[in-house]
Amino acid sequence: MRSFALLLALTACSQKPDVVVYCSLDQVHAEPILALFELQTGLKVEAHFDVERNKTVGLVNRLLAEASQPYADVYWNNEVAHTIRLKRAGLTAPYQSPSAADIPPSFKDPQHHWAGFAARARVLLAHEKATQLPHFIQDIGQSSATSAGAMAAPLTGTTLTHMAVWADIHTPNFVFAWLQTALDSPLSIAGGNADAMRRVCEGDVPWCLTDTDDAAAAIANGYPVEMHYLGQSQSQPGVLVIPNTICLIADGPHPEAAKSFIDFALSRQVEEHLAAGRSRQIPLRPHVPTPPTMQIPGKQFLPMAVDWEEVATQLENILPRLQQLFTS
Amino acid sequence: MKRLKLSLRKATPWYLLAFLLTGIMAWLPLSPVLSAFGNGWVIQDLLDPRTLGLLGNTVALATKASVLAIGLGLPLAILATRTNVLGHHFLRLCIPLPLFVPPLLLAQAWHGFSGADSALMAAICLGLSYAPLPALFAARALRRQSPSSHQAALLAGGPKSALREMVRLALPGACLGTAFAFLFIASDFAVPDYFATVGEKFSVYAGEVFNQFRDQNWRQGARAAAPLLALGLAILGLAWFVDCKFGNPQGGKVTTPQRLQLQKWHPLLQIIFSLFAWLAIGLLVLIPIGQLIWESGAAGPLAEGSWLQRSQTAFADAFTRGRGDFLRSLQTGLGAGAICFFLAPMWARFLIQVKGWKKAFLLVLLALPLLTPAMGLGIGAIVIFNQDWLRPFYAGPWLPILIFAGRFLPIAIFLTYERMRTVPSSQEEAATLAGASFLRRIFRYRMGGEIKVIWLGAAMVAVFSIRELDLAILLPAANASVAVRYFNALHFARDQFVAAFGCLMTLLLFLPYMISSSFQSSHE
Repeated sequence: MRSFALLLALTACSQKPDVVVYCSLDQVHAEPILALFELQTGLKVEAHFDVERNKTVGLVNRLLAEASQPYADVYWNNEVAHTIRLKRAGLTAPYQSPSAADIPPSFKDPQHHWAGFAARARVLLAHEKATQLPHFIQDIGQSSATSAGAMAAPLTGTTLTHMAVWADIHTPNFVFAWLQTALDSPLSIAGGNADAMRRVCEGDVPWCLTDTDDAAAAIANGYPVEMHYLGQSQSQPGVLVIPNTICLIADGPHPEAAKSFIDFALSRQVEEHLAAGRSRQIPLRPHVPTPPTMQIPGKQFLPMAVDWEEVATQLENILPRLQQLFTS
Repeated sequence: MKRLKLSLRKATPWYLLAFLLTGIMAWLPLSPVLSAFGNGWVIQDLLDPRTLGLLGNTVALATKASVLAIGLGLPLAILATRTNVLGHHFLRLCIPLPLFVPPLLLAQAWHGFSGADSALMAAICLGLSYAPLPALFAARALRRQSPSSHQAALLAGGPKSALREMVRLALPGACLGTAFAFLFIASDFAVPDYFATVGEKFSVYAGEVFNQFRDQNWRQGARAAAPLLALGLAILGLAWFVDCKFGNPQGGKVTTPQRLQLQKWHPLLQIIFSLFAWLAIGLLVLIPIGQLIWESGAAGPLAEGSWLQRSQTAFADAFTRGRGDFLRSLQTGLGAGAICFFLAPMWARFLIQVKGWKKAFLLVLLALPLLTPAMGLGIGAIVIFNQDWLRPFYAGPWLPILIFAGRFLPIAIFLTYERMRTVPSSQEEAATLAGASFLRRIFRYRMGGEIKVIWLGAAMVAVFSIRELDLAILLPAANASVAVRYFNALHFARDQFVAAFGCLMTLLLFLPYMISSSFQSSHE
């Protein structure tokens, strides 16, 4: 009992943080960035992470529940829509970071509540032996030839964002009709993008719709798979590119340190670091050094133009119906 | 009589402390969620065809899994505790092992091994994960069988009749264990989601509850949890009734009868039963753990070095990156276990004292934190404790310790009560007359010979606290934990690190149990 009390006392005496960061990016990729910040500034970061098993909304729920007395200073989200939801709920504060000056305007909030950096693209990951692949997203699950693969249930993360973008480009009804047909087909519905990727690697399905970071992990591990970019003809909207976003939490306990962290996260150095890492995140700025195999939007593939505010609105609209459709 | 009344008065401060602590760590954080139940939960919600369909899926899945759990757990408990199957000591040590591995990890290991999908596979995997619960409860009842009843059964009908008597004695306890298994299975959506990926599409109600929680209006989530909560209460109440009515009434210090010599019954029987037992342990433990160990060194075609080198690197990496998380999780688990070690006997003693509707009400109240989704309890804790004047407490390690203890306290209480009610009160009464303090009476005289059950309850609280994920994400000081790191890494890839980390996590949870079990065996 005495040794237990000692253990408690020892672990209770941890150093107080200078900045609290809630981070939805994978811990394995975010931790080196946080360590680099601590090394460069001498500030101590307390990081809190989310998990895909909980559909990566645990921290958003926590931010909403803590609204009256924020504990976090910064929210580093791995996509955009939930950040905009937090902005609309009045939980974020404007901050115009000097580091964001050269980030393209389409990836920044006009009121400076958030800014994007280091993105992932939505791609098709296919087994080398796969013969019949869909070429456009609207082909998926619509015929026997395009129903052999997998996609994540669009209830969260980038797949949900993808559906919201699609609903904005077309209409929600178009998206639901498409999804209903896909659901009635043999198309496999995974719990998340990584699950879908693993199923391709393990040979359960010939292809899946996923993100470039999952696809890059599969390729780096040497599985016989390759990435394909959908919708590359001129009549198609192109590939969806979803950046990480960062925002300052309103009334957070350490606003100055939080701004320092945001400046650091939005720097060219971090984009370069994330591009070189295992997740192969695509820099939003031009001329950031990238690995030779990385495909750059606008150069190697056609990116999609997205109105993020509209996408966040669509997301709010379609989510209840998606929950009904995919949980039954 | 006067003396007894005085001693009851002496006990009151301790009961008040138990009420106060349980109020802070369980009922207070539950209050925002419970207040939402009254806020518009109407029967139409329950009668909605979609809700009914999802609930039907959940009941079907949980029933199949629970049947498998008891079907495997009960014979294993009998064979390991009361027969001379080969390696029975080691068998007994291995039975609880699957409880120490998160079910999703087992699901992935099983999928990696078998390649199978479908709702049935989800039920099989969950049944295997929770089979130790009925086994542990049954084993405890079996160890209390009186030698005379065993001898009488043997003389009356031979080994067959002795085995039948063992089943009769162990079944009520096994049912209570299965009820707990049912609760955990019904609230799991990750494993069904995982096995629903390829082939037949299906969802469970726990997924719906989780989806409803992910909104600004979290009360909707609380409301959605009501049917699951009602189902849990019904199952637990039924199992509790069965255990109280038909459970082994033998209490106090009991000498366990000699193990049944199977070869005396039939020369081949010892081998056949040993094969069955080890096959079951293989299914429960050896295959999934073996798969994990293999995965710690396995990699894609481009991987360099031998399997052993890769495995060594993975374990070193897991230890380096997870060291701090292991320590913090251990702290939270041990803290929660220690609190329940003291609280569970007090609550058990109080439950013995109260009767009728008061007892039923108290049981429901005590079971609520376990039956409510962890997400609801976590959000409730934020709403209540995230106050300016409570900031150090909110950010510190005591909040998760208390909330975890509050959530899993019912397991420790039910275990302790089930045993305490069978222990004759004569020794406690004598101690009261001799002027012994309340704590001394409970821990030394009432439960002195049964202290292992209090340790078991505390250990189970510690294990479930270390495994808990939803609360770990929501409570500040719990976020840096093995559960969060493991599931976070699992997202990106089921690579060598994930496998090695899973093995270390299992070892962390299993080691204290193994040491205490060996210690107990040497004293038996």
